[in-house]
Amino acid sequence: MRDAYIIGAGQTPFGSMPDRSYRSLFLTAFERAVESVPHGIDEDEIDEAVIGSLGVGGRQLGLSGPAATEHLGLHGIPSSRIENACAASGYSVRQAVQAVKSGMADVALAGGVEVMTDMSGDMTKYWLGVSGETEWERLTGTTFAGVYAQMASAYLDRYDATREHLSMVAVKNHANGAKNPNAHLGFECSLDDAMSAPDVAHPLNLYHCCPTSDGAAAVLVASEDVVDEYTEEPVRVAGVGASSERVGLFQREEYTTIASSRRAGETAYDRAGLGASDIDFAEVHDCFAIAELLAYEDLGFCDPGGAPQLLDDGVTDLDGDLPVNASGGLKSKGHPIGATGAGQIAEAFKQLRGKAGERQVEDPTYGLTHNVGGSGGAAVVHILEREVGR
Amino acid sequence: MSDVRLKSVGAYSPRLRISAAEFREAWGRFEAAGVETKAVPEADEDSLTMAVEAARRAIDAADVSPDDVGYLAFATTTPPMAESDLTARLTSLLGVTADATTRTMTGSTRAGAQALDASLDAGPWDGRLGIVVAADCPTGSPDSGIEHAAGAGAAAVVLGDDGPGVVRDRSSYVEPFPGTRFRTLGEGETTELGVTDYDRQSFAAALGGAVDGLNAFDHVDAAAVQSPDGKRPYRVTDVLGVEPDHVAAADTVETLGDTGAASVLLGAAKAFDNSAERVLLAAYGSGAGANAMIVDGELPTKCALDASVDLTYPEYLRRREVITADEPDGGGAYVSVPSWKRTIPQRHQLNAGECPSCGALNFPPSGACRTCHSRPDAYETVSLPGTGTVEGVTTIAQGGAPPEFVEQQSQSGPFVSAVIALDGPAGDEAVSVPAQVLTRGDSSVAVGDRTETVIRRIYRQEGVIRYGFKMQPIDAD
Repeated sequence: MRDAYIIGAGQTPFGSMPDRSYRSLFLTAFERAVESVPHGIDEDEIDEAVIGSLGVGGRQLGLSGPAATEHLGLHGIPSSRIENACAASGYSVRQAVQAVKSGMADVALAGGVEVMTDMSGDMTKYWLGVSGETEWERLTGTTFAGVYAQMASAYLDRYDATREHLSMVAVKNHANGAKNPNAHLGFECSLDDAMSAPDVAHPLNLYHCCPTSDGAAAVLVASEDVVDEYTEEPVRVAGVGASSERVGLFQREEYTTIASSRRAGETAYDRAGLGASDIDFAEVHDCFAIAELLAYEDLGFCDPGGAPQLLDDGVTDLDGDLPVNASGGLKSKGHPIGATGAGQIAEAFKQLRGKAGERQVEDPTYGLTHNVGGSGGAAVVHILEREVGR
Repeated sequence: MSDVRLKSVGAYSPRLRISAAEFREAWGRFEAAGVETKAVPEADEDSLTMAVEAARRAIDAADVSPDDVGYLAFATTTPPMAESDLTARLTSLLGVTADATTRTMTGSTRAGAQALDASLDAGPWDGRLGIVVAADCPTGSPDSGIEHAAGAGAAAVVLGDDGPGVVRDRSSYVEPFPGTRFRTLGEGETTELGVTDYDRQSFAAALGGAVDGLNAFDHVDAAAVQSPDGKRPYRVTDVLGVEPDHVAAADTVETLGDTGAASVLLGAAKAFDNSAERVLLAAYGSGAGANAMIVDGELPTKCALDASVDLTYPEYLRRREVITADEPDGGGAYVSVPSWKRTIPQRHQLNAGECPSCGALNFPPSGACRTCHSRPDAYETVSLPGTGTVEGVTTIAQGGAPPEFVEQQSQSGPFVSAVIALDGPAGDEAVSVPAQVLTRGDSSVAVGDRTETVIRRIYRQEGVIRYGFKMQPIDAD
């Protein structure tokens, strides 16, 4: 199969924009993605589109793919919405890559959008739990903070880790997000702030939880046959992996790992012919602080139980050996559910082209993005490569 | 007389208590004479869950199996649903078979004694057992004597064709006394006109009429007398032909408050628990009617009537839903009543399934096996014993509950939600389930803690109360 390339990617700022419709947000992200294509792109050259969203609040739950692309003026192209909870747009990018690699499209648009701040807190809570296992898990009174807190309790019980390690994730990601103009919560926080915040679901406090955000992200994927028309600085999709897992935490073998992440990572490394040590930076799915620790281990950055040491040693800091969530991650950059995965790709694209400004990682070749749905029912990992001397 | 014998008595009260002093501080006075503390149902408790608790204890005390029960009578003035046959859920929750004859008695505080009286006529049951369970948690308007007295509790009696308990004599009496304690159709709160002498006259006339119908009796060890407050039963000792000490020997109103239809059976449970061998039961229902019985025998008992958590008056009002929120509007996740019904064997009876391919336990037993991922035609049903170990746990902070649980959190605050490895029947293999864990006061739950199941309300949606198991620390009793 032929190679797929990211030729452009963009996002809206993530944040609270209750007056913006999902279509207007997606339009902004799309325009930024188009602007980022080095040689430009004629929009007529886009063959198809896949848009991720959970559909928080209901709104255009049916046919939101066509509704968005027709709004963009991408008239008549095949367009659909993909739903995989918080991994929706990681999966939409994967699907665009599939379309391009298979030869069914030369250029495909992938993206995601979510509007979460324009409704009451009660309504939001209804929607935040819809990707948990509904019949049993939700009916013990948990939303996702509760389920991740249960994972954290098992992790803290099993390994030499403390709540301070959870807070260190918040401090690091806020420090990075403060350098990102697109971040929802773009401010720094102290370890003391991140330790003393009120509990949401013990052991997780407010600083261990990401916000609910509005936002959209768009990614343009092109085949190796046409990539040279658009850019001389191609970013190759070196590997993609995706995997599913039981939706309810209680149905899984272990609570201190997300097996779908592990499998998705293994597949992505395998397809890319790379290992974890080759990765220069990563954007991981830190919806709750414990999730970032689990991601380090599931993606092979360290052994199981080794995540606290990575944090203690500053390995994943912006100036560390393996910067993680230079964008601020879900914690600081924000988490508009359906836009998050494509937003990670947009960040990696920016980093690999050296355009990440103050938060630029030093001279990266390989970047990894890791996007998880729910508490791990779905996971998708992309490895992107800055191709030199094509 | 009846050939039916009493085999055991069980009793239960919620652990929450509020003292008369809390009411005095809030209202400047307390209207329920002779009540020192009273029991308060937790947000997820009602007359049905209390009935389960008492019945299970009676079944334990009799050392019998729920499979052997062929007759079940449930008595309460506060059914959680005004219409809907609650005995179907009670039967299922207790593990009693579906072919049992069931009866519901309600409408007055003598419903518990009426249920016992009726079952004496209905049995014996060809070697099978009967069970009578009375549970009640009355309420009144916040400033009324009825509300100040209103407590909570349940008692159950196991019956059969043999057993140590014999009903020597029984009698019933009715006489119209309209306007004594009543509740109009559709109302939640019980009220009374408060014509004091008339109310006392009704109480004495009905109870006196019932006792007059008994043959003369030499003595009793205790008299379990209807107790709407702690004074009324002592005013009728002459009418009943007993001493105040006899009333005191079966007095639960002082600590539990007015337990309505469960009052007399609870009093009897206390008396038998303290080794009484002859007890007069004297039940009164406003309107008015009364039942009297003499029960002889050394009955095995299992009672859980001790307190452990004191409430302040504001905490009490939250439990009473006086100052709390209802389920907010919304959408999203939804479990329909029919799909809930499909899971009742798991929620009521902990039926897991054993995979025919690999032998692993699955809960709920449906779809592909969670261990070997094969998709069996059917799982072999395995009933779990109900004990388990905490594997992951969190406390959902105030304001953090999903909408279905806002009402519960509004009433009783943060709650613990966990993943529990439920023990398999052989004790060697476990299967994990999510469940809330009941806590008391500031007690906390940690990974590794041992727990056991308890039946509670899970939530209420579309007006339908959904019952199922939660967990509690295993040393809770």
